[in-house]
Amino acid sequence: MTATSLPPDSAPRVRIRVHRLVLYTVLVAVTGLFVGPFGWLVLSGLKTPAELAASPVHWLPSHVQWHNFADAFHLIDFLGYARNSLIIALIYATLVTLSSAWVGFGFARLDAPGKKTLFGILIGSMMLPQMITLLPTYLIFAKLGMVDTYWPWVFWGLAAAPYLVFLFRQFFAGLPRELEEAAIVDGCGYGTIFWRIFLPQSWPVLSASFVIAFTWSWGDYIAPQLLLSTDRSTLAVAVMSTYVTSAGTPVANLQAAASVMYVVPILLIFLVAQRGFVAGMSTTGLK
Amino acid sequence: MTVEQIPVTGRPGRRPAARPARTAPAERRRISMTGRRHRAFYLFTAPWTIGFLLLTVVPMAYALWLSFTTYDGISPNWRYVGLGNYGELFSDPQTWKSLGRTGLFAITSVPLSIIAGLGLAVLVNRPIKARGLFRTLLYLPAVVPPVGAGLTFKALFDQNSGAANGVLTLFGFDALGWLADPYARYVLLMSVLWAAGNVMIISLAGLQDVPRELHEAARIDGASAWRTFRSITVPLLSPVLLFQTVTGVIASVQTIMPLLLTPDGTTAGVTALPQSNYLYMMHVFSQYFALGRYGYASALLWVLFVLILIATGLIFRFTSGVVFYNVDPEAKK
Repeated sequence: MTATSLPPDSAPRVRIRVHRLVLYTVLVAVTGLFVGPFGWLVLSGLKTPAELAASPVHWLPSHVQWHNFADAFHLIDFLGYARNSLIIALIYATLVTLSSAWVGFGFARLDAPGKKTLFGILIGSMMLPQMITLLPTYLIFAKLGMVDTYWPWVFWGLAAAPYLVFLFRQFFAGLPRELEEAAIVDGCGYGTIFWRIFLPQSWPVLSASFVIAFTWSWGDYIAPQLLLSTDRSTLAVAVMSTYVTSAGTPVANLQAAASVMYVVPILLIFLVAQRGFVAGMSTTGLK
Repeated sequence: MTVEQIPVTGRPGRRPAARPARTAPAERRRISMTGRRHRAFYLFTAPWTIGFLLLTVVPMAYALWLSFTTYDGISPNWRYVGLGNYGELFSDPQTWKSLGRTGLFAITSVPLSIIAGLGLAVLVNRPIKARGLFRTLLYLPAVVPPVGAGLTFKALFDQNSGAANGVLTLFGFDALGWLADPYARYVLLMSVLWAAGNVMIISLAGLQDVPRELHEAARIDGASAWRTFRSITVPLLSPVLLFQTVTGVIASVQTIMPLLLTPDGTTAGVTALPQSNYLYMMHVFSQYFALGRYGYASALLWVLFVLILIATGLIFRFTSGVVFYNVDPEAKK
């Protein structure tokens, strides 16, 4: 990409080369800073407790303790917690993606009196700290006997999420009007138009939304801690609080190994969905 | 379902058709279609409107009611105290201190992550090798769940085994107690900056929407790279940046990271937090979980809610002149 635009004299060429060297150095250094902490977590998960407690720092484990990962898996019911996390995240992400797409379609392609006000409230509710509603919501769910069930996640999923609604609205609003005009003339209902025409067009946003919602749910710490008993709780809660010896002292190396195993699925999902994710975020519509 | 029955009343001139009718279709069909659109709109937005009422408005109202009581969840002897909780709240020094820390945290962390994220976006928007890999690696920390990030930073800044102190001692400095006062706040800040990939990815999408011709025209006119960035890129990205500012402020208000950086990392241990990380939400948690004072904590929440409304209002107010919207979808070819 550079060969064609290079001027004939060599001074700018040297400058471009220096420029690129600086660029790559900065890029690699910054990337190192961003990846480094995660590498350290992995290393911590491969050390013995003695090495973790030793001062000064042991940079590398003297004997790599692969079994830490197996031990972390068996010390607690890792698989059970992972299953709970997965169920909740799948329920929530699936429902909230569909409901948000549905609502987003309404805001993008339809109108009625009060639309502006409703949209204003929707955007405004994005600015409403969920933590503020979560504590009273918890008390209400407790009164309704829904503590220690997954029903709250079903309701949260069905209710659509303003951020995702906004994402879908932006995407749907960018699609050409011709898309539904023919269908309307043919007498299709809006439900059909949404399901048959708009939804198939929106896989980048759908996957982005699913990944975002899945990540929210998988990463959520406060809601499961509030609403679920220890057995039914999620990996996020378990990793944080159950890695202790019978004497109650935390087992840092196993906790590190466990948190690696807790984080990796999210990273993998993101890596797989990345393409669609970035495309979805740019909400470019048909090109 | 019987669309034809929608009465042809109302103000016919109020809602012009999306574009001038070219062939003048049957008036009757046009009106009935409007009715159908109206009903479809309410139907489509219903999941959110109903959900908002039941899962937001009702809990908020419930919290407002609780904030006038001494409810603790257990004792049947709770009573109505009017504005008592609010009076106590305003005279509670912890409220003011934690509020100040939260404000400081938001004012530092939000601009820093926006600048960092925008910088990263510009960096990885250049024609570089392995661009996708760099983007992915820089974005990855942003998808690490809070618990993962908390444990990562705990491992990184551990007094004995942390890499941070490892580096310090390598250069002959003394090891620091990073997770205690007064350094805990910097660890918190760094943990937020670590997720700057979030801003990066959204800014990147915005950058790619900036028309290439604008940059080329500016270059032909002899504008420097910085000037082009300042006068073209930033104004065009301003809605994205505003969005990031507002959501960033709100996220920073409800961060639970301080909790996750403590030794036992549970809501019960909230009272053992280092002072410098005792943010407003931590104060709420400590009243709520450690002391079971639901009424008082609800009053704290309501005050926070009002403060956030004011803060976002001010942000919008002060940025209204500098945020550039290109909302006309028809202008986009």
